[in-house]
Amino acid sequence: MRDPGRPRRVLLAKTSFDGHWRGVMVVARALRDAGFEVVFLGQATGAEILAAAEQESVDLVGLNIGGRIEVAERVVEALRQEQAALPILAGGTIPPWAAKRLEERGVEVFPPGSALAEIVAAAERLTS
Amino acid sequence: MARRPRVEGGPRTGPGERRTRSGIPLAPVYGPDAIPPERARELAAPPGAPPFLRGAYPEMYRAQPWRIFQLSGYGSPEEMAARLRFLLAQGETGFIMKRDRVTNDHLYDLDHPEVVARREDVGQSGAVLLSARDVEVALEGVPIERSYAHPGAGVVQAAPFCLTSYWVAARRRGLDFRALAGTGQSDFFLTYVGCMTREQIPPRVGLGFNCDLIEFCTENMPRWVPVSIAGYNGADSGLDAAQELGAILANAVEYLEGVKARGRFAPAAFARQIGGINLRTSMAFFEDIAKLRAARKLWCDLLRGRYGIEDEKALRLRIHVVTAGSAMTYPQPLNNIVRGTLMALAAALGGTQSLGVSGYDEALSIPSDHAHQMSIRIQQILQRECEGLVDVADPLGGSYLVEHLTRELEERAWTFFEAIQARGGFVAALDDGWLQQHAIDNQFAETDALAAGEREVVGVNCFPEDVCGFEIDGFSGGADAWERGMKRLAELRASRDGKASAAALRRLEAGCRRGESIVPLMLEAVAADATIGEIGEVYRQVFGTWEAPLAL
Repeated sequence: MRDPGRPRRVLLAKTSFDGHWRGVMVVARALRDAGFEVVFLGQATGAEILAAAEQESVDLVGLNIGGRIEVAERVVEALRQEQAALPILAGGTIPPWAAKRLEERGVEVFPPGSALAEIVAAAERLTS
Repeated sequence: MARRPRVEGGPRTGPGERRTRSGIPLAPVYGPDAIPPERARELAAPPGAPPFLRGAYPEMYRAQPWRIFQLSGYGSPEEMAARLRFLLAQGETGFIMKRDRVTNDHLYDLDHPEVVARREDVGQSGAVLLSARDVEVALEGVPIERSYAHPGAGVVQAAPFCLTSYWVAARRRGLDFRALAGTGQSDFFLTYVGCMTREQIPPRVGLGFNCDLIEFCTENMPRWVPVSIAGYNGADSGLDAAQELGAILANAVEYLEGVKARGRFAPAAFARQIGGINLRTSMAFFEDIAKLRAARKLWCDLLRGRYGIEDEKALRLRIHVVTAGSAMTYPQPLNNIVRGTLMALAAALGGTQSLGVSGYDEALSIPSDHAHQMSIRIQQILQRECEGLVDVADPLGGSYLVEHLTRELEERAWTFFEAIQARGGFVAALDDGWLQQHAIDNQFAETDALAAGEREVVGVNCFPEDVCGFEIDGFSGGADAWERGMKRLAELRASRDGKASAAALRRLEAGCRRGESIVPLMLEAVAADATIGEIGEVYRQVFGTWEAPLAL
């Protein structure tokens, strides 16, 4: 359980090698402005994200997806196996059919154009 | 992240006040004051004559319409060959061999652990071309001796491999590669500003590579543009029009000064070789038209003013435009066909030499076949049905608004250029994150304007209703690219002359340590069928890697 005395902490990472950083930076800023501590890992594998999530004791993971959904699913599986209760958000270039596959795994998906207020609200709800 | 966005950069600030995307105030109407006497004299110069405000060539599209030049490539070398033949049959007049970014941009072979962890991504963003043999296969049936090629040399550290593998493949066909026409890119905006990714060589090393390429092409390849400066990747990550232009000038100065300092070629000898740039058009319609016109004038003024160059061929800037991927929306994706058309029209009205239109499914996926076709059709409709567009050069020349914006952008671009120079130049300004911070500030301002409803995007923050049931599946090709590539890689390693490739790699390493030109070294390594991953290992040993200055 989260210590109510410390700010909520979110880990952001990119699952693929795609280098576009505009979207994830804008989301990072919105979460920061809403009072979250943001740890930005950049491009990372499932094992790296899991290790950072544990080391930083994060309350939430946000995945920026810029490639095939199978790569993102592998990351989600790695997190679920070790930290089943850790909530996961995802954004990026995700076609609707692929978003459904993530949603079936309990990931909340925010495609491009989502209002930042919605993303922040979801992050707050999932960490309260 | 504690920094608040600047107000400047937002499209509209204050009640009733209107500004362009880069903050130029807009009056309700413009009149003759927008064209002072000196500008009138400059506008009297026809297209094709300095200062090129009105166009790069005398007859512009009447003589030759802009080149339809779309990004393409996925999957295996065989799939790339089929795609290139298809695109040429569809009416493209040049081609871009987009290479798989997982392997190519990072200089990894397919069995590198970082690639294995993302193996489904392999072949999605380009074709997997790990050796000159792969490139030979990718060019089967493609008439390279009469095509204008971009062999995929986008990222700086990958450029020597991408270019030499194309040249070696041509040589193996019996062609004199020095006669080929095409372009490199080797682009700092892509590599170090717009799409920063891991394990890139430090920018100073990259600058050395680019100077090597410029020298090699100046000496050997008259029809090849060795590098191009792609402002697009700065602009689509947030730099505004004036910043994009100012940073391009600063980038050009790095090349001009870098090659000049080596003492073999004076700027007049190679300035033409670097006079191909890439700009973005976006929904900032009039400002982007003005941006292309300003770019030609700025280029001409830079070379004449700072370097005393008078050769008109060198003073003439050629422009490739890519329309803004970031303008494409996820909701109501068919609306993006309209956006693509407007952004393409802006490029044509600005006088571009070639154009790529982003796919209508850009926000969801790599372009599907249909989105790709649509990007070509948009351009064909503009060229064949939009009456007058290809008949008259600079159709908006003399427009009070466009001339006002052109002058404003020139002035602001020089201001930004001087700010970069004051920080030690273009490479210094991106090495420590200063340039990227400007992009971030603008992104935040744009995002805030969108959230506040000060800027409207149809389907996103207004008019969300949609009766269209059309759903996009996205791109689905190249699914087995990793498995197929692993087989080819095993075959290559088993069948090549291993001693020769190892020796070439040792010479590459020794040459890199001694600071020799990368081009002959790479030609030798590629001709010996060294793989991209082996070349990457040499770089990582010799040069180390750059830490992207993207801190929260």
